[in-house]
Amino acid sequence: MPGLVVETLIPGYLGKMLGQLKDGVVVITGTNGKTTTTKMVVELLQQSGKKVLTNPTGSNLTRGIISSVSQQATAGGRLPFDIAVFELDEAYARQFTDVVKPRFVLGLNASRDQLDRFGEVDTVARLIAETMLSAIDGIIVNADDKRLSAAVGSSEIPLSYFGVKPELLKFFPRDDEIVSVSGKETTLQAAKVPLSVELTAFEGDKATYRIGKQSYDAVLSVTGQHNLQNAAAALALVRTILPDADTGKLVRELALVKPAFGRGQSFTLKNGTNLQLNLVKNPASFRQGLASYVCENAEVMIAINDRVADSRDMSWLWDIDFSTLKGQGVKLTTGTRAIDMALRLQYDDIHVEKVEPNMEKAIKQFVQAKNDKVVFASYTAMLSLHALLSKEAGKRL
Amino acid sequence: MKLHILHIYPNEMNTYGDRGNLLTLVKRAEWHGLEPVVHYYSAGDEFPEDVDIVLGGGGQDSAQDDIQADILKIGDKLKALVNQGVPMLMVCGTYQLFGNRFVTLDGKEIKGIGIFDAETIGGPNRLIGNVEVKTLDFGVLYGFENHSGKTFLGKNQKPLGTVARGAGNNGDDKTEGARTMNAIGTYCHGPLLPNNPALADGIIRLALSNKNAEFDLKPIDDTLADHSRQNAAHRKY
Repeated sequence: MPGLVVETLIPGYLGKMLGQLKDGVVVITGTNGKTTTTKMVVELLQQSGKKVLTNPTGSNLTRGIISSVSQQATAGGRLPFDIAVFELDEAYARQFTDVVKPRFVLGLNASRDQLDRFGEVDTVARLIAETMLSAIDGIIVNADDKRLSAAVGSSEIPLSYFGVKPELLKFFPRDDEIVSVSGKETTLQAAKVPLSVELTAFEGDKATYRIGKQSYDAVLSVTGQHNLQNAAAALALVRTILPDADTGKLVRELALVKPAFGRGQSFTLKNGTNLQLNLVKNPASFRQGLASYVCENAEVMIAINDRVADSRDMSWLWDIDFSTLKGQGVKLTTGTRAIDMALRLQYDDIHVEKVEPNMEKAIKQFVQAKNDKVVFASYTAMLSLHALLSKEAGKRL
Repeated sequence: MKLHILHIYPNEMNTYGDRGNLLTLVKRAEWHGLEPVVHYYSAGDEFPEDVDIVLGGGGQDSAQDDIQADILKIGDKLKALVNQGVPMLMVCGTYQLFGNRFVTLDGKEIKGIGIFDAETIGGPNRLIGNVEVKTLDFGVLYGFENHSGKTFLGKNQKPLGTVARGAGNNGDDKTEGARTMNAIGTYCHGPLLPNNPALADGIIRLALSNKNAEFDLKPIDDTLADHSRQNAAHRKY
């Protein structure tokens, strides 16, 4: 691993290299949406003429960042970029911010995620807050995530907020509402603060954002409700980095950003049908995926592994309400935890046609189905399926 | 026949999918031909009259602080139910509060309601991983533990079982959970009941026997749970 070698051989390497960038370093962290939001921010900055260094999808540990820095540096040790935008894993961000102080940090959300790794949601939120508080010039935070906005609210660092209109909040539930069982109002209320960017309306992938006093409409190429919120975050961050940018132009360019690797990505299969591959990492992202992608005629497959990157613990599957699948049922469950997934669905009275733990066999059967298809996959299952589908698909969209 | 299930502190103590235990009891009761009725009790609520089964979940340390004062208020009611033989399943955080006390890592003492003669000491490391517990009454149980508190049972306190895999109560003495009358405390998430239908049905049967009710439970197809248990038995991690 080249990143690890450089780190050991040249302490201070990362700080020295990234210190050259005239527009500094920007960090994006949070439980869900890091990859897609980073992609949006990078593309918006590039469209504004910036040379942007970023980390390849998923390499969100310090080691991955060192790898991309050392690969991109010239022989003379220069980094030919204006700005770096990195997504950082919330558990490891500290390693990075201890050596490199970011100018701006965007905190997306804190949700129960891989609790076998983190312990509890409060710990997840604390780690994300620490990262935000390492910013020099500005924090951009989700006003609707009470844990995060409260953690930075009294900071001296300039704050800007993104959020959704209160009436729309029910479509973007926070962690405590996702698992609330008795239907009581959550005690966690959104921060009452002026928003830099507010999602004020949406229908499908068409969104309206209020920015300053103006409203802007956009039909996004990324899919899924949660990405409308991520787009608000990306806009708020880019407006902070480039205060003079033309807002209308940013919104138009944002609409063109395509889905990131395995995050609502579409494949056209040999039989002409479409398959959408969705990463589901935790109750929040699974719930958002179900709300966004399940429609009447779509065939559904769910792929769940229990490698360390997926979560060893299957408890998280029980914090999700699967009842939207009641109509069509589920064609296949697959992965090392295919049976556990089917057992979970049994308790929501959802019919599972077949349990096939072997992912290659499962996808071979699944692509034969006549209707369009949706796959929900945990992290390592998504990686395997992406590889299998790239072979299978005639043309990747 | 109605089966009244009380879930205590559903929002305060509800991490790690423990609502799956409630869902499992509700669905299995229905499939067995019973009529489950769910009651929720949160801090400050009126305690319900009809209670056949009581459930409690794991919580974050901060939530445990929040409900501490409240659980002491309903401690006598819960004790009376335990003495009537009402089956209870208390997981992780509520299990700890059913003991005598919980001393946090920074030395703060949280008083429990003493249904279990047990004491929990906050530890610096979390005990996390798959668990296999051998019990006399419910066979082998499979779950997933995730706790930093280490629980030590008093001399005469019965454990739920002994660990064949995982840390259990404290990682030292091989005990897991506690049992007083029909009240069960455990560190097993997973959640516990869907993966262990014998325990779920055991709890339902205990509740029915308290009602002196003759009732033939309709059989349930547990093929998936059986497979999941076979996998759990062979899992290497």
